[in-house]
Amino acid sequence: MTAATATRPTRATGPARRDARGRAGYALYLTGGTLAALLFLLPLVWAVLRSFMPDSLVTQAPSGHDFAHLTFANYSGLVKANDILHYTLNSLLVAIGTALLTAVIATMAGYGFARFRFRGSGIVFALVLVTMMIPFQALLTPLFLEMHSLGLTNSLAGLALFYTTFNLPFGVFVMRNTFLQIPWELSEAASVDGAGLARTLVSVLRPLILPGIATTVLYAFLFSWTEFVGALTFLTSNNLFTLPLALLNLEYGSVGQVNFGYLEAGAVIAMIPCVLLYLGLQRYYVRGLMSGVIKG
Amino acid sequence: MIGPDQALARPATAAPPGPRGAGGRRVRWWHLSMSRRRALTGMGLVAPSLVMVAVFVLFPLGFAVYISLTNWPLIGPYHFIGGQNYSLLIHDPQFIHSVLFTLLYTGIVTVPIFVLGYAMAVLVRSNRRGATFFRTAFFLPFIIGLATESFMLLLELQPDSGAADYVLSKIGLAHQSTAWTVNYGLALAAICVFVTWFASGLTMMLLMAGMQGIPTELYEAAEVDGGTWWQKEARITLPLLRPNIALALIISVIGSFLAFNQFYILTEGGPGTSTQPVVMWIYEEAFVQYHLGYATAGAIALVVVIAIISAAQFYLLRDSSSRAVR
Repeated sequence: MTAATATRPTRATGPARRDARGRAGYALYLTGGTLAALLFLLPLVWAVLRSFMPDSLVTQAPSGHDFAHLTFANYSGLVKANDILHYTLNSLLVAIGTALLTAVIATMAGYGFARFRFRGSGIVFALVLVTMMIPFQALLTPLFLEMHSLGLTNSLAGLALFYTTFNLPFGVFVMRNTFLQIPWELSEAASVDGAGLARTLVSVLRPLILPGIATTVLYAFLFSWTEFVGALTFLTSNNLFTLPLALLNLEYGSVGQVNFGYLEAGAVIAMIPCVLLYLGLQRYYVRGLMSGVIKG
Repeated sequence: MIGPDQALARPATAAPPGPRGAGGRRVRWWHLSMSRRRALTGMGLVAPSLVMVAVFVLFPLGFAVYISLTNWPLIGPYHFIGGQNYSLLIHDPQFIHSVLFTLLYTGIVTVPIFVLGYAMAVLVRSNRRGATFFRTAFFLPFIIGLATESFMLLLELQPDSGAADYVLSKIGLAHQSTAWTVNYGLALAAICVFVTWFASGLTMMLLMAGMQGIPTELYEAAEVDGGTWWQKEARITLPLLRPNIALALIISVIGSFLAFNQFYILTEGGPGTSTQPVVMWIYEEAFVQYHLGYATAGAIALVVVIAIISAAQFYLLRDSSSRAVR
């Protein structure tokens, strides 16, 4: 979508002089863009390098010697002493659970809103969308009391349900638009052939709704992977902590000096899935941004 | 899935007998009219999302109003105290401070996020080679998330070992042992720079989407008339971009209003409670002080403010898009 429409009219290749000016302009563009890109990427690259520095170097001022002693010590120490793999697994479980549940519920709702007329459909759709305007940060107290009495606090499943709800408005909106873009005849043809609802969705419409589902899954995963304030409120036992809470433990929980090498390595672990997912599924992410509804 | 769902897509008139045989439930389902069956199926499909929203948003919202009218402690009995929490709230110096601090922080970061985001959108909106790479690079900090990056930044803000002191002392702007996170002004400055770095990519994406939607014919016509780059930007791009600008600004403002992660991780609200934004005030009051009723009154105030901003968003977007059509 982004690649298809250009803002600038492509300059007609005119006389050689204009061509040279265009080339100089392009060189300037590349230089400026690269410098700006470095401003955004270097801090991240630096953090990755830091995570490979031994503790003795991490706590000193950066210097040229830093790169001569790179080591996996922070990572192995983090695995052994802080069981970081366990917390990573917790984060993964919550994020994958949230992504799948959001995808299923949003796909159903999107199909329902796009293809079926029923009384109150508009009101229900408005109710789901209104959720987008209500910051969950402001509902922490009633949610805590409610989820506590339902046995959903201090539970990864409870946290995933909470995340799912606040990802639903976006997901439902994206999936409804996805279904609206599919020609009516296609799902009707499937139903004439005697395909049931589930089969229509899975075998006939699947290729057409897959981009929408990918967008929904991607947003839900990225949202829940390192969400902080909700996890901080709803999880209290150490063995259920997700990655950001485990990192917070490294920061405040340790007696005396913070082990910055470990903290840096843990942050890099938290960063990796986001980078990979985004680089791999970038067009689905952009699709979501263009859908007109973005989480505040 | 259950019967209604399986049957939904069958045509109304010539309903063939279901291949899976007709159970008692199925027969009754077939006796319903087609439109009725479709309506029921639609309701069934949207029911799970409605239940989720009702349980985790609508009920808590109503419950929050109720809690805010009580002196709810975490454990033990509570009493209905009417609007007392609210009248305490507007005289509570700590709450007022957190509101003012949040406003100050929002006021500071909104402008650089927007200006930088706009400049980057101009840079990446074309299809020149390299634009995709730049776009990815500028947006990456937003994807990785504030919490993760706050943990990374913590080390770099330490005196003597952090990269911030190292770089700034090389160019003579700070002392090598400046402790950024324990000083109100320095912490606020550092976090503002950090958040600008984090969030300007989102503004860029939102503005770029709008810029790419402007018909190229308009620019071509302006070029024929000898318009300069600045004229085209000011007379064509800016006016047509109004809805996107409104959206980008409002998303940015709401995000700043709800700031929590970066302050909790980097300063813990300190020194003292000087860098405590509203969401952290709510969190501390509720889950550290156990004043749930009081904290929730503050939360309701936040909901109202966000609702007003969101309503303004809808108003601005609708207004400007209808103007753009004319």
